[in-house]
Amino acid sequence: MNLFVFTNFFAQTGKDLKNLGDYAEAASTKWGLAEPGVYYEGGLFFAGLIKWLLSTTEVSSALPFAGTVNGLMTSLAADGSIFPELGGLLITIGVVFGFVNVFAIGAVWSERKVSAHMQCRLGPMEVGPHGLLQTVADGLKLLTKEDIIPRLADKPLFAIAPAVVFAGVLMRFVPLPFGDKLIASDLDLGLFFIAAVGAVEVLGVIMAGWASNNKWSLFATIRTATQMVSYEIPIGIAFVTVILCSGSFSLMEIVNQQGGSLLSADDGYTYQGWVWHWNLFRNPFMPILGIVYFIASLAECKRAPFDLPEAESELVSGFHTEYSGMRFALFFLAEYAAMYLVAAVAVVIFLGGWWSGIYPLDALGTGPDATIYTKTLGLLVKVGVFLSKAFALVFVQMWIRWTLPRIRLDQMMYVCWKVLLPISLLCFVGSCLWELVSGGASVFGFGIVVE
Amino acid sequence: MIPCAYFMNIFKVARSIWIGMGITLKYFLNHKKTLCTIQYPKEKDLIPARHRGIHYLETEKCVMCWKCSDICPVDCIYIEGVRGADGPLQGGYRGQKATLSKFTVDYTVCIFCGLCEEPCPPKCIWLGPEFDYHSTDRTMMEKNLLTDEVYTEGDEVFVEWARGENDRLQEEKKKQKEAEKAAKEAEKAAAAAAEAEEEGSDAEGESAE
Ligand code: SF4
Ligand code: SF4
Repeated sequence: MNLFVFTNFFAQTGKDLKNLGDYAEAASTKWGLAEPGVYYEGGLFFAGLIKWLLSTTEVSSALPFAGTVNGLMTSLAADGSIFPELGGLLITIGVVFGFVNVFAIGAVWSERKVSAHMQCRLGPMEVGPHGLLQTVADGLKLLTKEDIIPRLADKPLFAIAPAVVFAGVLMRFVPLPFGDKLIASDLDLGLFFIAAVGAVEVLGVIMAGWASNNKWSLFATIRTATQMVSYEIPIGIAFVTVILCSGSFSLMEIVNQQGGSLLSADDGYTYQGWVWHWNLFRNPFMPILGIVYFIASLAECKRAPFDLPEAESELVSGFHTEYSGMRFALFFLAEYAAMYLVAAVAVVIFLGGWWSGIYPLDALGTGPDATIYTKTLGLLVKVGVFLSKAFALVFVQMWIRWTLPRIRLDQMMYVCWKVLLPISLLCFVGSCLWELVSGGASVFGFGIVVE
Repeated sequence: MIPCAYFMNIFKVARSIWIGMGITLKYFLNHKKTLCTIQYPKEKDLIPARHRGIHYLETEKCVMCWKCSDICPVDCIYIEGVRGADGPLQGGYRGQKATLSKFTVDYTVCIFCGLCEEPCPPKCIWLGPEFDYHSTDRTMMEKNLLTDEVYTEGDEVFVEWARGENDRLQEEKKKQKEAEKAAKEAEKAAAAAAEAEEEGSDAEGESAE
C-alpha cells in the first residue's frame, strides 16, 4: 500500500518538530540520546526508546546471523542521525494512525447509539456491555470478507483508490494539534496545507469511481467531485478570514492567540484568556462564518444532509458500490477520520483550540513556579478540553445527520453557490473592515497582542 | 421582491432546522422514557389475552373424539390412541376416556385459525400466548402436544410400537373372544349333545320297556 510512502512523507515533515518539549527532553536524556538543555524535537521520545532498545537487546548467539544482527544494531545505535526521523515516523503511525482508528471505532459505535436514542431504539446491545465491541466485531467481519475486484475494473487504480482517500485524510492530521505541544508537525502553512491536501481525497474518490467501471459509481463520482470542489470555496474563505485576523497560517499560532493577552514573555507566560478571546467572538461576522464553515465542512466530509455521494438507499451507494471487505472499510475509516478532522479544525480556528475559556484552568502549569506535576496536569487538561470540544462538534454532526433528510443535488448546489458563498464573502469583507477600524480588537474590546 | 423571498427562504430553513434539532435532542435526552424497543428473546412484550399462538392440550381431559381434527380446515392435527381410559396400551398418555399415543399439530400447515378450540367437548385444547416456534428443518415443525416438545423420531418409534402393540392386543382380544365364543359354542354343543343323549337314553329306556 502506498500508505507507506505517505508515512515516509510524514517522517520528513517530522524533522522540524519543535514540540513535546520537556517530555521529549526528559526521555531522551534518560536514554542517552542527547545533552540536556537543548530544545528537542517531538519524535525524540520515541527515538530515545528505539536507541535504548537497540543498544540493550542482544540476539542469542544460538540463532543464525546473530553476530551480523548484533553488529548492525550496535552500529545503528552508535549512529544517531536516523533517530529523529524514525521518531517522527513512529509518532505519526502510533499517535495519528492509532487515534484515527480508535476514534473511528468509537465514533461508529456512538453514531449508532445516538441515532438509536433519537429514534426511540436501543442500538447495539449484544457484543460487549451496551454493544461497545460491536464495531470491533464488524471490523473483524470486514477483514475476513472476500476482496472482490470486478473483472472489467481498472485493477491497479481500483486497488489503490481507498488508500489514496484514506491517506488524503490522514495527511491533513499532520499540522493538527491534539493539545498544547502535541502535534505531529507544526507547519508554517498549516491551514493552507489542510485546505490543499483535501484535494487528494477528491482525487481518490474520482479514482475509485472511474476504476470501478460501473455507471452508477461514475455518476456518483461526478456528484461527489462537484460537491467537494464546490464546498471547498466557502471553507477556503473561512480559512482566509481567520488567517487574516490572526496573521498566521500555523494552527499552533492561531490557537495560542486565542488564549488571550500575552502579558510578560520574560519569565514564563501569563495568559489571561477568557471565552471572548476565541476567534468566534472576535468580531460580529465570525459567528456567522463559523456556521458557514460548519455547514460547508459537513458537505466536505460527505455527511448528511449532504451525503449524496453515498446515498445508500436511493443512489446505489455512490462511488464505493463495487468495494467490499477491507477496502470498503478504508473508505469508512476515512469518512470518520474526516469527521473528526473538520471538527478539530473548527475548534482550532473558531473555538479556541485547547483553551477552555476559563482563565484559571488555562493558566495551570504555565507560570514560573510550575512543577512537573502541574505541567503534566495542565497538558492533560488542555488535551481533554481540545478533544471534548472536537467530540462535541462531532456529536453535533451526528445530531444533524439524524435530524435532517438528504437534500437534492440542485438544492446542494444552491446552498453552496447562492447562500454560503455570498454570506462568507460578506463576512470576509466585514472582518477585513472590522480589523482595519478596530485595530485587531475583539468585540468585547480586549486587545489581542500579537508578538 | 426576490431578495425578500431569498432571505425568507434562508430564515425558514434555519427555523425548521432549529425546530427539528430541538425535537431530536429532546428524544435523545429522554431516550430512557421514549424507548420503544425491547430486548426480545430476553424480555417479552405483553401478549393479548386472546392471542392465538401455539397449541396446548390438557391431555387428562381429552376424550379422543377427533372433533378438533375433523373441524381443522387444513387437517393438521394427528391423533392416535385407544378409546377406554384403561385401554390395553401400556405407557400411553391417559386421557379422560382414552389412552393417547399420538397428538401432534404440524405447524408448517396450521393457520392458527383457532377453530379447533370451539368444538372440543371438555374444552381441553387451546391456543396459547407463545409464538416463537422455530426449527432448522421442516420435519421438526410438528409439535407433540402430549409432551409439549417437538415430535421427534423417538416419538415416532413409540407411536409405531404403540400401533403394533395395539394391533397385537386387539388381535389377542379378538382371539380371546373367539376362543371364548368357540368354548361357549363347544359348551353349548356339548350341552345339546348331552341333552340329546339323555333323551336318547330315555327313548331307549322307553323302547326297552
Ligand atoms: S388452529 Fe386452525 S389450522 Fe391450526 S390446528 Fe386448530 S383448526 Fe387446525
Ligand atoms: S376435540 Fe377435544 S376431546 Fe376431542 S380429541 Fe380434540 S382435544 Fe380431545
